[in-house]
Amino acid sequence: MEEKMLYKVSGAPFVRAKTDTQRIMLDVLIALLPAFCVAAWQFGAAAIVRVIVSVVSCVFFEFAYRKLMKKSSTIHDLSACVTGVLLVFCMPAGVPIWMIVIASFLSIVLVKQLYGGIGKNFLNPALAGRAFMLAGYALFMTTWPVPSALKTAVDGTTMATPLGALYGGTAAEMPAYFNLVDMFIGKIPGCIGEISTAALLIGFAYLLIRKVIGWQIPVTFVGTVAVLTLIFGREGYGNVEWMLFNLCSGGLMLGAIFMATDYCTSPVTPKGQLIYGVGCGALTVLIRYFGGYPEGVSYAILIMNLLVWAIDKATPQRQFGVSAEELKAAKQAAKAEKKAAKEAQA
Amino acid sequence: MPFKYYGGVHPDEMKQPDLATSFIDQPPQVVIPLQMHIGAPCQPLVQVGDHVTMGQKIGDNDAPLCAPIHATVSGTVVAIEPRRHCVVGDLVPSIVIENDGLDTPCTDLAPLTPEQLKDPDAILERIREGGVVGMGGAMFPTAFKIQGGRGKVDTLIINGAECEPYLNGDHRTMLEHPEELLKGIELVRIAQGVETAYYGIEENKQDAIDLLNSLNPAQYGVVIVPEKVKYPQGAEKMQVKANTNREVKPGGLPSGVGCNVVSTFTCWSVYRACYEGRPLIERVLSVGGTAIKPANVMVRFGTPLQFIIDQLGGFTRPIDRVVLGGPMMGFASFDQSCGLIKGISGLLCFTEDENRDVEEPTCIRCGKCIQVCPMKLQPIHMYMYTLKKDFDNMAKFHVTDCFECGSCTYNCPGRLPLTPTFKMGKGMIKAREAELRAKAEAEQAKKEGGK
Repeated sequence: MEEKMLYKVSGAPFVRAKTDTQRIMLDVLIALLPAFCVAAWQFGAAAIVRVIVSVVSCVFFEFAYRKLMKKSSTIHDLSACVTGVLLVFCMPAGVPIWMIVIASFLSIVLVKQLYGGIGKNFLNPALAGRAFMLAGYALFMTTWPVPSALKTAVDGTTMATPLGALYGGTAAEMPAYFNLVDMFIGKIPGCIGEISTAALLIGFAYLLIRKVIGWQIPVTFVGTVAVLTLIFGREGYGNVEWMLFNLCSGGLMLGAIFMATDYCTSPVTPKGQLIYGVGCGALTVLIRYFGGYPEGVSYAILIMNLLVWAIDKATPQRQFGVSAEELKAAKQAAKAEKKAAKEAQA
Repeated sequence: MPFKYYGGVHPDEMKQPDLATSFIDQPPQVVIPLQMHIGAPCQPLVQVGDHVTMGQKIGDNDAPLCAPIHATVSGTVVAIEPRRHCVVGDLVPSIVIENDGLDTPCTDLAPLTPEQLKDPDAILERIREGGVVGMGGAMFPTAFKIQGGRGKVDTLIINGAECEPYLNGDHRTMLEHPEELLKGIELVRIAQGVETAYYGIEENKQDAIDLLNSLNPAQYGVVIVPEKVKYPQGAEKMQVKANTNREVKPGGLPSGVGCNVVSTFTCWSVYRACYEGRPLIERVLSVGGTAIKPANVMVRFGTPLQFIIDQLGGFTRPIDRVVLGGPMMGFASFDQSCGLIKGISGLLCFTEDENRDVEEPTCIRCGKCIQVCPMKLQPIHMYMYTLKKDFDNMAKFHVTDCFECGSCTYNCPGRLPLTPTFKMGKGMIKAREAELRAKAEAEQAKKEGGK
């Protein structure tokens, strides 16, 4: 009789897919590897050291905070590592080390853990950390070390990014070494992880194959930017050329593939994800065209982060067995009922 | 070409379709619960001390929604008392029969005559008398289902998807009794009064599809429909959608859109009841999991689970959980002395290795639950509001329309107990409705009393 009670009793299902949170985060890290390799190639030890510092300090702050608050440790889920990598990927390779540590603290403790940790924050921790730094240390955040591919072409140790050149000058002033092929490969200055469109697209393909993210957000995000820049071209550039410049410069790919798709700060409904992607794209173009900064990706995503709850609420799934017409009729009936109730009260 | 539906998952199949159905010794005692179906429980027709024959009717009820039960061995009734029910978990009245080991068959049910085999009402009566219920797990009395569908149903669908991992009972039946199976489907089709039965079989059973097709299913009025391998393909609503592109309304039955779905093993049981006069007393049980030697065995109902396990050589590794049915929708068993009942298609013995639950399940808002829900619900929100007992929002997110397929829970990287929570939530909603009704009635009574 006693032996019988040794069996565990739980609810169905009794089998679970292999993929857990840790595996997903590991996949994201793997997807970021190509971009990391390009960064190491273009910025050398400076980039490698900064990535390591950022990851270590993010993990440390996550561990220390949870320990201090007497909560279970969550560093094994690797989400702090992902935050660490993404945070430093959207900073220039020349930022002081202490800035990275401060940014890690703000990202992990202020943005993520104070709201309850993974799954509960409403702003993307890496982007929020970057936004704080840009507000506090604008100079450091906009000083771009020359990538190794351009060392011979450029005098000095720092230079402007292609986006800066697009933003500030006319077409004639655009340096010849900012051509589309080099921008696609990543032979340009910029934040550590954003320079190579090609490397980021490889990561995107990997994430899609592993089903970590859907196509919805990145495709609508980049697609919206493409359409808008194609329609509203710039004098001196061909429309397609201008569009491709916009797609390959700045943090668009990094943002669309890795930042905007952050589970916790993006809508969960498929329809909501489309709206969110379009919103991110439109805001990016708005800021790039009319804003005070040359780059708009991070603020576009942060603004859309704040709308996620509303988007989710506005885009519920249409249940199996309910046709679009039936749903519409039901909605109208509910509205009419409400109205009638109000009138009855009055 | 079967129609597509939203969502679904692809769990590892873990099936052993090559193991032919084997037989085990009959147990010294069988414990047959008086409730092996949805509906009114049976009343015992025998008394303690009575001698019964194999297949003799020992319990029935005049209520329309009921299926009689039969002695699964010959021998003596030694007790009629509450015993633990392997699915319900509570003590329910059961008939305990001491096996005399002779298997003396009962002759009450004669095989139907050729004329009767063409008569819908004779077939229907035999399906009821044979105690046939839905063998996919729901245990809905088949005769009631067919009768209820008359006049409404224009399409009969036979469910051969067997989409749950580990289970092979239907697959084995297709391979071992293809002709009887087709004849059984023909009987159900005649009883239902339709021209064609669509037999949906998942493509992972290609050998069975080929075998059935080689027997000219058209002469029985059967069309074989190969279906994509995807869980929960075998769910009733999914079968209806895949075969007819009709969607069962929330809260509705397949007959509401003119369909009835009958499972493979049910059809074979109908064949045996009609052609052989043999009521439903046994089924193919798939045994699997890493803690036991896999097998497909024919087991009589009422056989204690422990007896089955022992017959197959016992546990080979330290056991963690024993599951009745499939791993996605089955039940954990905690008392192995229970007798097997009609709707149990699998006996799975799992070790710690299969257990991927975690101590602190955490939602990371990945939305994968929404992507896989075949009912297009939003498990993430249903879970949140159920835990908060927010009844308004539970209704808004349709907690009651979840049919507990487990896809969301299977796919959840944060390992949330989604499906068990929805089961609990449905119970909460039911209890609350009952409470509100009682309150309203009490108030009404008070008012009337005051007057």
